[in-house]
Amino acid sequence: MKKNKALLLSGPYILFMVIFTLIPLGVVGYFALTDPDTGAFTLNNLKNLALFLPTLGTSVGYAIVSALICLVLGYPVAYYIAHRKPLTQKILYMLTMLPMCMSFLLRTLAWVGILETNGIINTLLTGLGLPALELIGTPGAVILGMVYNYLPYMILPLYAIIVKIDRRLIEAAEDLGCNGVQVFSKVVLPLSTPGILSGLTMVFVPAVSTFYISQKLGGTETMLIGDVIERQFKYANNRNLGAALSLVLMLLVLVCTGIMNRFGGDEEGGVVV
Amino acid sequence: MSKELIRLQDLVMEFDGERVLDGINLYFNDHEFLTLLGPSGCGKTTTLRIIGGFLNPTSGKVLFDGKCINEVPAYQRQINTVFQRYALFPHLNVYDNIAFGLKVAKLPKTEIQERVQEMLSIVGLKGYEHRRIDSLSGGQQQRVAIARALVNRPKVLLLDEPLAALDLRLRKDMQNELKRIQQAMGITFIYVTHDQEEALSMSDTVVVMDKGRIQQIGKPEDIYNEPKNAFVADFIGESNILDGIMLADYKVKFFGRTFQCLDAGFAPNEPVDVVIRPEDIDFVPVEQGHLTGTVTSVTFKGLNYDIIVDFKGFKWLIQTTDYQAEGTTVGIRLNPEDIHVMKKSEYSGMFGDYSSYSAEYDELVEDADDEEE
Amino acid sequence: MKKTNRILTVLIFIFLYIPMAVLVVASFNTGKNLSVFESFTLNQYKELFKDKDLLALLGNSLLISILSTAISTAFGTFAAVGIHNLKPKMRKVVMSLTNIPMTNPDIVTGISLSLLFVFVGSNMLGQKESLNFGTLLIAHITFSLPYIILNVMPKLQQMNPALTDAAMDLGCTPVQSFFKVTLHEIMPGIVSGAIMAFTMSLDDFVISYFVTGSGFVTLPVEIYSYTKKPIHPKIYAMFTLLFVLIFVLMVTMNLLQIRGERKKEETYVKQEKPAMKIFRRVCAGVCALAVVLGCGWLIVNNQNKQVTLNVMNWGQNIADGSDGTTDIIKAFEEKYPHIKVNYSTYDSNETLYSKLKGGGLTVDLIIPSDYMIARMIAEDMLLPLDFSNIPNYKNVQADFKNTAYDPDNTYSVPYTWGTVGIIYNEKYVDGEDVTGWELLWNEKYAKKILMFDNSRDAFGIAQYKLGYDVNTMDEAELQACADELSRQRSVVRKYVMDQIYADMEGENAWIGAYYAGDCMMMMENNENLRFYLPENQGFNLFIDAMCIPSCAENKKEAELFIDFMCQPEISGANMDYICYGSPIEGARDYMDPELANNPVVYPDAEILKNGSSYAYLPEKTTRFVEDLFMKIRIE
Repeated sequence: MKKNKALLLSGPYILFMVIFTLIPLGVVGYFALTDPDTGAFTLNNLKNLALFLPTLGTSVGYAIVSALICLVLGYPVAYYIAHRKPLTQKILYMLTMLPMCMSFLLRTLAWVGILETNGIINTLLTGLGLPALELIGTPGAVILGMVYNYLPYMILPLYAIIVKIDRRLIEAAEDLGCNGVQVFSKVVLPLSTPGILSGLTMVFVPAVSTFYISQKLGGTETMLIGDVIERQFKYANNRNLGAALSLVLMLLVLVCTGIMNRFGGDEEGGVVV
Repeated sequence: MSKELIRLQDLVMEFDGERVLDGINLYFNDHEFLTLLGPSGCGKTTTLRIIGGFLNPTSGKVLFDGKCINEVPAYQRQINTVFQRYALFPHLNVYDNIAFGLKVAKLPKTEIQERVQEMLSIVGLKGYEHRRIDSLSGGQQQRVAIARALVNRPKVLLLDEPLAALDLRLRKDMQNELKRIQQAMGITFIYVTHDQEEALSMSDTVVVMDKGRIQQIGKPEDIYNEPKNAFVADFIGESNILDGIMLADYKVKFFGRTFQCLDAGFAPNEPVDVVIRPEDIDFVPVEQGHLTGTVTSVTFKGLNYDIIVDFKGFKWLIQTTDYQAEGTTVGIRLNPEDIHVMKKSEYSGMFGDYSSYSAEYDELVEDADDEEE
Repeated sequence: MKKTNRILTVLIFIFLYIPMAVLVVASFNTGKNLSVFESFTLNQYKELFKDKDLLALLGNSLLISILSTAISTAFGTFAAVGIHNLKPKMRKVVMSLTNIPMTNPDIVTGISLSLLFVFVGSNMLGQKESLNFGTLLIAHITFSLPYIILNVMPKLQQMNPALTDAAMDLGCTPVQSFFKVTLHEIMPGIVSGAIMAFTMSLDDFVISYFVTGSGFVTLPVEIYSYTKKPIHPKIYAMFTLLFVLIFVLMVTMNLLQIRGERKKEETYVKQEKPAMKIFRRVCAGVCALAVVLGCGWLIVNNQNKQVTLNVMNWGQNIADGSDGTTDIIKAFEEKYPHIKVNYSTYDSNETLYSKLKGGGLTVDLIIPSDYMIARMIAEDMLLPLDFSNIPNYKNVQADFKNTAYDPDNTYSVPYTWGTVGIIYNEKYVDGEDVTGWELLWNEKYAKKILMFDNSRDAFGIAQYKLGYDVNTMDEAELQACADELSRQRSVVRKYVMDQIYADMEGENAWIGAYYAGDCMMMMENNENLRFYLPENQGFNLFIDAMCIPSCAENKKEAELFIDFMCQPEISGANMDYICYGSPIEGARDYMDPELANNPVVYPDAEILKNGSSYAYLPEKTTRFVEDLFMKIRIE
């Protein structure tokens, strides 16, 4: 009876997820292996991928750098929030969530206004009699955009895990003779590893596949794999090459998250915020 | 006595191929307080859950008033349960918890109110109607759980280790309380516990279970005095269990000596298990003793001393108020009524040897039992 | 240590909120520029509430997210209960299935779903519009479900399993026990899952972007196309209002949560007064009714019985009523009240082509350029027009009939014509340097030059510069062009299409190549801008013409639109805004004389002789050029 009930309730869901997540990936695979013009089986799309390896490398590099920056910036913030009074925690948590709910397109666009050659920063600088800076169109601007957009994705899982660390463990470590730094490095940091890994994944995945941020904040040098894929679908009408690229991107993300999870021995796969 | 209410016929339960119940046959009478007693994993809770309708037996039948109720779901059985750790609804207050079953049954509001109030006074929680569940103490929660089950006027109340989460003193009080309520309501209680003392002090009938099988059914006194095998003997109280040979009726030989006993009906020279309860043994001067041995350890227990005595390499536990210093040589006498002879069973040789006895060890094991269930 | 943390936290929050503050400030600005605050105004809010289309888009977004959240919450909760009861091994499999949309990049999820919908819908079921409201809803449910499952599952695991047993013991059927007990226990999980699903769905751009067809568009997707063009500040006003709304919602929810927790600490649960209970139920009922009615209204509104004419045009390519011009679409809808125009834009011929080829949508009217029309005719992507519905075709000037791309006048009716030239800012660019296309290669202006982000126009410029035929199929010549463009890369600030507006008007870039009419519009907004046509080297002369693609569903109405556009007064009024030349006889007379006599809009016939138009090149050449261009872009 119980078994039937379980299947009855979860069956439609399983079916739904198979149809709308697994099968579509199969369709992507099908497109990746067929010719755009004739529809015949071909490996050409995969062969053409070699051309995009440098782009892929750039994307991964940008994503890793922004994930690490997010970690360095996000950890102290998460730690700080987690050690406030409950009410303060709630307020700060809400303030971290809030940007995630607002249109990321417009928020990124605001950065264009800020970094632009004649943008807010440079207007201020020249107003102060300082030389203007070339900020937009640089890799730095793209990484800034990524960090800005995905920092909350780092802070929230870190906070969720740090806040759960038992205070008594810290006291125990102090009791056993650890100083502040040692308490952090020997107790707090290892215990927050799952949060770090989940935060890194949550920043890395959208960052490596973004196309909007690089389009708005980047220049000629910052074409990312997401741009290329979007271009294949929306401009160059080469869905098959686009599909092949998506497949590569997916595998890349799979491998990266797999390595991270293996590295952390994290069974859960990710912390739900 | 009174009429039979529930009967279990050849109950077998398997989980993933593992046999948890192995052919249980049992009946319960009306107005009876019956206890299923056994160590964790013996199948007592499974039996209770089958009666409650939360599990379907792999094979076998549950008869209620002579009718098979295997296919009747839990919510249609005239049986209610007091769950382990109570399972009170945290989102409802005391009143709503107790009224839950009546509301589901869509009874008129006034009747619900009356019956809940009545129950509250029976369990002594008048004035607690609007309290939050998590603001109650363990004993109070226990009472709410009992009230919630009894307010539905079931024919049978199932109680699954209801006192396990309480501290010792409260447990003693609640034992009396439960007995009182059972007598006041005049319904059948089926009680599951691993605490033999609880079982002996409350029950009309005790069913000792192990490994999915019933080991012995009987009145508490019979179970204690006439254990059927080494398992029961060991599980109910402390026992020194020795290998012996039944020479003839009323004559048993062990430790190379023949003793008078009260048991009969064995084959001549049949190997048997001999049980001697630690509190039945009296020290006598060495020269008067049937046996002599050396005291190896003495532990003060409050009411008595636990004294371990080594008889030719076999260690006995003796409970007595008569202090003996470690290292003394002592003599003991065994009267015929102190000796109980059992047939050999699969449990022979597994219990009753105090060679590795340690008071702390026993307590540890008991704690572990508590955790498990 | 603590102090540094505190300072860092404050700085990070400033960092997170500054861009939003910029947008909020911009919503009260009279000017369009984010970096210059001209003066305070509330006009943008007025504009916002006047813009029915924008509000409808917001409605669409709300509709999709409310529906998808409601469905996935109900579906996901029951599924979670089911999964919870599965055997551990099976449960693990199902959970990794659940994790797929969570760990997969959104772009992959979006692409895979859109390919599936088009593949199944168009190829297997023969649907014309296989990317529709339903498929968008499915996509949103697909990525919302995991949020529900992942939030509800832990609550189920934490729940004491004896509680459901207890409920059944007390007479509840399994269904009753779920609603009376389990639901209460897992409610916090359901609520937080639903909130996450709702915000994700409301703000989703990437997945919707790939799964959206032409009929039903959500706000973020449309905002994306807005951000390609100069953005109207009323969008900032909307952002501000949404910000306030979400802020208030979040604060309320937190307050409710805090109140709930306070309650938990109290010893007594106060019995709710019956009147209060009724009041609460009535409130809940009213809310539910409002949601249902709202959704119903939106659905009806979206599928009203009027004919919806899907028009797809270049960005900034129709008079929209701003700056005192005629609102062409409104005028058309007034003339034909049964037709509702659903207007969307693209930024290059190639984008349009990709959209149509990608399939899954219905478009009734498109306005591609000459060479693209020829390509579409060759690929059977256009429907022959019924000229009996287009009596005003007689107004089309003879020069624009029997063209190379549509020699028999079967498929197209011209909309505009124009040239491609250089726009530059004379404040920064030395007049002596403005000699020809080589200006776009001038290292003096490195990183201040904007270049076309489409292969045909980019290669065209290289071909004019190198003196090749613009329609060359010689791979060596094309390769030489590619090398030339690749050489240019180091001085190019950015490859752009409609984004050129913001950069040129804001003087972030000084030189760019674009279509003359658009350049005219930029010049109206910044007096330092000048237009230059390299008449000696040659330049592109193009015609954009109205066509009906084969995926059209309302051909007759599209023809009515074409006919409408062929009226001289309408065409003239339209040109007043878009600043191109009209192919309609007499339209020039209806234009603002200043514009009608402007050589940028109507160059001398002598000069025009040096212009040439792009022809349709064979598929092989097109792909060759496309690949070369891609290489330049990703170099």
